[in-house]
Amino acid sequence: MSALLDSLGLLLMDPWALFLCLSGVVVGLIFGALPGVSSTMSLAVMLPLTFGMSTGNAMMFMLGIFFSSVYAGSVSAILLNIPGTPGAMVTVLDGNAMARKGRAGEAMTYALIASLFGGVLGWIILVTTAPVIAAYALKFASPEYAAVVFFGLALVAYASSGDTLRGLLAGALGLLLGVVGRDAITDVPRFTFGTAELQGGLDIIPLAIGVFGIAEALTAVETIPKTAAALPARMGRLFPGRRALLAETPTAVRGSAIGAFVGAIPAAGSAVAVALAYALEKRISRTPEAFGTGVPRGIVAPESANNACVGGALIPMMTLGIPGDSITAVLIGVLLLHGLRPGPGLYESQPEFVATVYAALLFAIVFTGLVAGTFGLRGFNRVLLLPRRILLTGILLLCLMGAFSVRNSIYDVWVAIAAGGAGYAMSRMGVPVLPLAFGVVLGPILEENLRRTLMIHKDWTVFLERPISLTLILISFAVLLGPLIWQAARSFVQRGSEGGKPR
Amino acid sequence: MRLKSIAAALALAGAATFAHADSFPGGPITWVVNWPAGGGQDTTSRLVAEMLSEKLGVAIAVKNYSGAGGLTGMRELASADPDGHTIGMLGASSIIQQYTTDEPVMLDELAVLSFFGPDPGALTVAGGTPYESLDDYVMAAKESPSEIINGNDPPGGASYISASILESSLGLEINKVPYSGYAPTVTALLGGEVESATVPVPQVLEHHANGDVRILGVMAGQRHFLAPDIPTFMEQGYDVVAGDFRAVVGPAGIPEDVAAILSEALVAVLSSPEFNAKANAAGYMIEPLGAAEAKMRIMQFDEQVYPVLEQAGLVTNPR
Repeated sequence: MSALLDSLGLLLMDPWALFLCLSGVVVGLIFGALPGVSSTMSLAVMLPLTFGMSTGNAMMFMLGIFFSSVYAGSVSAILLNIPGTPGAMVTVLDGNAMARKGRAGEAMTYALIASLFGGVLGWIILVTTAPVIAAYALKFASPEYAAVVFFGLALVAYASSGDTLRGLLAGALGLLLGVVGRDAITDVPRFTFGTAELQGGLDIIPLAIGVFGIAEALTAVETIPKTAAALPARMGRLFPGRRALLAETPTAVRGSAIGAFVGAIPAAGSAVAVALAYALEKRISRTPEAFGTGVPRGIVAPESANNACVGGALIPMMTLGIPGDSITAVLIGVLLLHGLRPGPGLYESQPEFVATVYAALLFAIVFTGLVAGTFGLRGFNRVLLLPRRILLTGILLLCLMGAFSVRNSIYDVWVAIAAGGAGYAMSRMGVPVLPLAFGVVLGPILEENLRRTLMIHKDWTVFLERPISLTLILISFAVLLGPLIWQAARSFVQRGSEGGKPR
Repeated sequence: MRLKSIAAALALAGAATFAHADSFPGGPITWVVNWPAGGGQDTTSRLVAEMLSEKLGVAIAVKNYSGAGGLTGMRELASADPDGHTIGMLGASSIIQQYTTDEPVMLDELAVLSFFGPDPGALTVAGGTPYESLDDYVMAAKESPSEIINGNDPPGGASYISASILESSLGLEINKVPYSGYAPTVTALLGGEVESATVPVPQVLEHHANGDVRILGVMAGQRHFLAPDIPTFMEQGYDVVAGDFRAVVGPAGIPEDVAAILSEALVAVLSSPEFNAKANAAGYMIEPLGAAEAKMRIMQFDEQVYPVLEQAGLVTNPR
């Protein structure tokens, strides 16, 4: 703890280190707000710049990019209805809906404050309990991954808006699309129709850009002459009011806790975290039907979760030397190039370096708050003041560029356009698109881990023998069947009491 | 008027040639990485590109074309204009894919420019397992075939092939369970889901030093510079050499003089002490070889791996 205070003090006295962190934050805000440019890509592109820096400064710079780019994914999600990163996929729903009601400013503030809250809570969990959580996260093997994703799908099935049957259909379609490409277990190409392009599978970003961004732009084009209601015309006030913000605290705490823990499980990732956080909030809400219409809770839950993931993802990296996701893989690359090999050895032998990394993340959070709060909110919102036609054209261009930049592939642009058409048709038919996106993200993880579990244990009962997976499966069934049983029980009681009445 | 415009056009053309004259044949280079940003292939590429750019005096843009297990990027590379301005990193998996995928990129569609270095496989066991030595492991695997659970890539990946070479060279069978990459494999080894793994040395070195796992042997001709105390398979009496490698390639048909410039510059960068210090610190073994020797090394691997793939039933596109 004293090492941490020392590091904070040292970095605070070092204007160059602070400047690097600030630059990283600005770079991350811009890259993160661009659809299709992921945090991983931002970090990888900036990696060569760190060659000449000291290790501590390199971490200040890289963590600045990391944290701010995760936050900035919410910007294009709220303002333009384009999820720039998988972590922002859920923010689109209520964020953009709120913006469309002329409350873009408030939506942005909710997202920023939730992000900072999640970041700080994730940071506290990292600093105080990293070794404990890391040991627990290592208990997550293939059966547990399969169970947690099963749980996620159960929540999503419950939480999809509107008609449950249509939601399930969209989810099934998503699971099916997730199957395309090379199978993760046997490496056999599936549903590629002999083409080379489909072997790479359908990436979630071009799909999400299509079903959310392009489909939305198409809807907006349709309504231009009449109402122009699809896009927020003004940003409205920025501050939602203290009481309204405070009311979201429990949601932010739950979202952050889910984010930090899921982030700490290697290879789970922020997409799983936001899915769980959003679905949980909707499950326990007294007014689940309001989700998707622009409620603050629908922004706060995913944004606190995906930013808490940052601190969470650093837990296995710092204590075990395992990259939890592709972003921390780049960070480990930075450390390796500076001759430091993260892992249990480094964690114990160099507490001052560990403290430097923790301090750097805190600075990154603070600077993100400062830059986004002072310039970002107003600057980003100004985009909305552009004339409608120019804005829509710009959005479509951004969508196509974003789809392209994921893998530098023109094929992904076609995927986005096709998904846009499909998403437009789905929304006209009243089929929700979120279950589809979750199906694409969660399906392959479920399949891979399920099949691997069976390869290792050769028996389905393993899911019931392991406490974590058993618990998750029981909760999943409670979530799925609970409402049915509740209804059946109530009607049984009613009928019983009716039957008891004298005729 | 016409004269004026012709003169202007000439001047422009002149300026354009002049702008290119002071640099590598004609302007910037695109460096293709066939894996996502952040992996070993990506990090090493960016490291070389940075210094090669200084050496040649032109900008080098590193671009990730990931997907289809690296095939997308190789296709991009092979179909590029062979003028020397599109080059990229080649790994063992691309050699393997020649025989295991539909519409693969064959080695003769590429021009080898230089060798980067080997990334030898190793056999590592989890701390909780009873295997204290390679002998223990081999004995156990022979006693109960397919019982030992090994973590590796999906079929066709480098660490899967290392496990297959281990099996075929020593005449044993293990349960090869695939993970999508080295990081999840190492996680599974640490968590005890798998008993052994065939990932390269740098991935497990730290955990070996900490006592969480034991590296039983390195699958290379000589010991790994990062782990000089760990004997090779050869030293322990087992003839197993396997693992990944990296080489720099371009599309086939690059003019000889241009290829020579690139090849020389690459070898110079890879031989520089500055580069080696950085790469070695990050765990990468560097073995700079010129075009001809590099090609020979890759052909050797090609010869070694084909029968293994055939034996494992992975060949769908026979020679």
